[in-house]
Amino acid sequence: MNQTYNITLTGELIGEIERSDAIAVFAKLFKLPLDKAHDFFHKAPLVVKKSVDGDTANKIQQILEKSGLHCEINPVEVVETEQSTQVGVMSESAVDAQDEQSGQEREEMLDSESEMTTEPEQPSASFKGLKFEMAGQPDYGFVTVHVPAGEMLKVEASAMATMDTNMQMKTKMRGGLGRMVTGENIFVNEFTAANMEGEVGIAPGAPGDLCHQYLDNETIYLQNSAFVACSSGIEVESKWQGLVKGFFSGESLFLIRAQGKGDLWFNSYGAIIEIDVNDDYVVDTGNIVGFTDGLEYQITKVGGYKSFFFSGEGLVCRFSGKGKVWIQTRSSAAFVGWAHWFRPVKSKG
Amino acid sequence: MMEAKIMGSQAFSYIDIDLEPGETVIAESDAMSSMDADLDLTATFNGGFFKGLLKKFFGGETLFISRYSNNTSAPKRVTLVQPVPGEIRCYELNGDEFNLQPGAYLASTDGVKLGLRWAGFVSFIAREGLFKLTVTGEGKVWYGAYGALLEKEIDGEYIVDTSHLVAYEPGIKLKLQLAGGIFSSFFGGEGLVTRVEGKGKIIVQSRSVSGLAGWLNPKFR
Amino acid sequence: MEIELLYRPGNTAAKVTLEEGQTITTESGAMIAMSGNMDITTTTHKKKSGGFLKAAKRMLAGESLFLNHFEPKQGSGELFLGSSLAGDMMTMDLDNESLIVQNSSYMASSEGIDVDMGWQGFKSLFSGESVIWLNLKGQGKILISSFGAIYPVEVDGEYIVDSGHIVAFDETLDFSITKAGKSWWHSYLGGEGLVCKFKGKGTVWCQSHNPSSFGGALSSSLRARKA
Repeated sequence: MNQTYNITLTGELIGEIERSDAIAVFAKLFKLPLDKAHDFFHKAPLVVKKSVDGDTANKIQQILEKSGLHCEINPVEVVETEQSTQVGVMSESAVDAQDEQSGQEREEMLDSESEMTTEPEQPSASFKGLKFEMAGQPDYGFVTVHVPAGEMLKVEASAMATMDTNMQMKTKMRGGLGRMVTGENIFVNEFTAANMEGEVGIAPGAPGDLCHQYLDNETIYLQNSAFVACSSGIEVESKWQGLVKGFFSGESLFLIRAQGKGDLWFNSYGAIIEIDVNDDYVVDTGNIVGFTDGLEYQITKVGGYKSFFFSGEGLVCRFSGKGKVWIQTRSSAAFVGWAHWFRPVKSKG
Repeated sequence: MMEAKIMGSQAFSYIDIDLEPGETVIAESDAMSSMDADLDLTATFNGGFFKGLLKKFFGGETLFISRYSNNTSAPKRVTLVQPVPGEIRCYELNGDEFNLQPGAYLASTDGVKLGLRWAGFVSFIAREGLFKLTVTGEGKVWYGAYGALLEKEIDGEYIVDTSHLVAYEPGIKLKLQLAGGIFSSFFGGEGLVTRVEGKGKIIVQSRSVSGLAGWLNPKFR
Repeated sequence: MEIELLYRPGNTAAKVTLEEGQTITTESGAMIAMSGNMDITTTTHKKKSGGFLKAAKRMLAGESLFLNHFEPKQGSGELFLGSSLAGDMMTMDLDNESLIVQNSSYMASSEGIDVDMGWQGFKSLFSGESVIWLNLKGQGKILISSFGAIYPVEVDGEYIVDSGHIVAFDETLDFSITKAGKSWWHSYLGGEGLVCKFKGKGTVWCQSHNPSSFGGALSSSLRARKA
C-alpha cells in the first residue's frame, strides 16, 4: 500500500489576506456554510483531509496556500481503509456525525463534508459523473470536462474556449421557442470524443462563477441564460413560466428545465451563494440563478406601495417550501444599464 | 532592485511597483491608477514614430508609452492597471522570447524590447492582426487579459478559441481552422478556431471581451 | 448589526445580520436577497426625518431620490447587498468624522450616519467626468463599494490619483486637479490627462480599475444603439 498523508490546517495565514477572507475561501473550498467554517477555523490546527496520496496532498496544499491558508502535510503511519472504498466510508461517517453530533471527531466530520471544488480528482465527480476541473473561480469560472471516448457533451453556443483535436463539434437546435423570442442563441453545440478520451474547456460569456450539480433523476430550474453544459443523460428545455411570473421575473419569460441523470453545469453573473430554503426566502428577481424542483415561488412586491414604485427593488421572488436556491451577487440589468452608455451610436443613413 | 507585487487577486489584478532611485518602469498609456507625486512621467513613441504606428495599428498597442522614472533619492510607488478587469501575470525574460497576443502587453522593465513580427495571413483572417508582439531581452514583462489566466502545457496539438489565446512560448505555432463543419461553425458561434502546434506553454484567458459582448447584446433594449 | 463581506474582491456581496429593532439604510436597488421577515420602507431621506430639500439635492445630483430602510420583524433577519458593477466593498466606522465618497460607491449606512449631497468641493473641476460626491458624517457604520479592488493610500505630503480611481477620502485632505509628472504635454500623451493631487495628511481609498476605461475597451463589440 502506498504511503498516504493527512493535511492539517494550522490556522495561520500567508501573505496579506484578511482573516474573514481566508475563512470565506475555506468555506468555499470545502462547501461549508460560512458560520460553520468560522467555527472550524477557530478550532485550528485540525486535519482537513485524511489519507490522500502524495500528489493529491501536494495539490491540496498548493490550492490552500495559494488562498493564503497555511497547512502542513503529515504522513499517515497506519492505513486501514482501502482507497477504492473511500467514498463509501466518507458518506457513512457523515451519517454518523449527524447522528451523534458530539463533535468529538470534528476532523472526521469535516473530512466527510469536504469535497474540494477545485481539486482536480473530485471523488464525487469520478464516482458518478464525468471527470472535470474547475479554475478561475469565483470571478471567471472555467471548466475543463474530460469526455470519455464515444461520449457526448452538450455545450452552450460560443462557450467552447479550448479542446483536444479529436473532439468533433455538431450544432443542434435547442428545444423550445423560448430562445428565439429572447434573441439568444437558439443553438447548442454537441462535442463528441472520437476514438479516445478528449477534453473541452468551457468559458461562458458572463463574468462570474460556475456551479456543478450531479442530477440523479432530479430536476433543476435555471434562469434563461444560466445554462453552460450537460452530459448526454440530461434533458434541457425552455419552459414557459406563465405570463404573470414570466413577465415580472426580470430575466425572461422562460426558465430552463434540466432533468435526467448526469452532470449539469450552470453559471452566474457574479459569485454564487447557495441558500437552503426552509420556510420562506425573498430574492430579487434579477439575482436568481436557479432553484431545485419542489420549491414554490411567487412574484410579489416588497413593502408598501411606495417601496414598490421607488425602492428600486420593485418585484421580488418569494420562495417557499424546502429546497435550494442559487443566487448571484450581481444582476445583469444593472450591468446592461451601465454598458448601454458605451454602445456605439448608429450612424444615420 | 525594484519591488513589484501583483495585488487584487485574479478578478482585478493591479501592480504596485516600488521604484528605487534612478529606476524606470515602462507601461502602455493610461495604465497609471495612482502614484507618488514626485515621480516623473514622460510619454514617448512606442519604439519610434514609425514602429509606434505599426504597433498601434497591427499590434493592438498604444501609439505612446509612458515612462515612470524615479529621479528622487527615496523609493517611490506607482500603481499600474489594465483597462479591463482580469488577471495580470509577470514573465521573466533571460535573453529568451515570449509572444503576446494583441492588447495583452501592460508594462515592462527597462531591459525588455518590444518587437513586431510577421504573424502570417492566418492571424489576419482571425482578426488578430498581421503581426504578433514579441518581447525579448532581460527583465520583467507584465501582461494580462480579461478573465482569469490559465496555463496549458502543449505537446502536440490543441485547439483554442481565437479570442481566448493570450500568450505563447516560442516553440508554439498557430494555425487556423473551422471549429466544426460549415453549418456548425457558422451557427454554433465558434467560427474559426486556432490550432496550436508544438511544444511549450500557452496562456489562455477564461473569459473574452467578445464573449461578454455576446452575453450583453441580446439584453439591450 | 453585523456586516460580513463575501467573495472579495471580485464580486463582493455584503451579508448584513440585523437584530430585532435594528435598521440599515441602503441605496435603492442594492438588495439581492433577504429572509422572509424583513420589512422594507422607502423614504426620500433618513428614516423618520428628512426634508424635501435634501431629497431634491439627491435628485439633482443624479442619485436616486430614494433610500430603503430594512428592519427585521420578530427576531433577527439577514439581508444580502450587491453593487451594480463587479468589485470590492469595504466597511468603516465613523466616529463623528467626515468622509467624502464618490456617489456610486455609497451602499449602506447605519442609523447614526448623515448622507449629505451638499459637498461641492470638486464641482466644475471634474467637469469632464460627471462624478458626484457625497459627504458622510456622524457616528456609525458605512458600507462602500468600488469597481475593482479597493486599496488605501496613506498620504503624507503629496500623492497623485487618476480621476477615475477615487472612491473616498478624508475631508481633511487638500486636493487640486493637475497633471501627472512635470509636463502637461507628457501627461496628455501618456493618456493620463487630468489627475487629482492630494496634499496633507490623511487617507485616500482608490479603486484598482476605471469603469470608463473598461467601457471603452468593450465599446466596439457592443450592439449599436440609436442616438
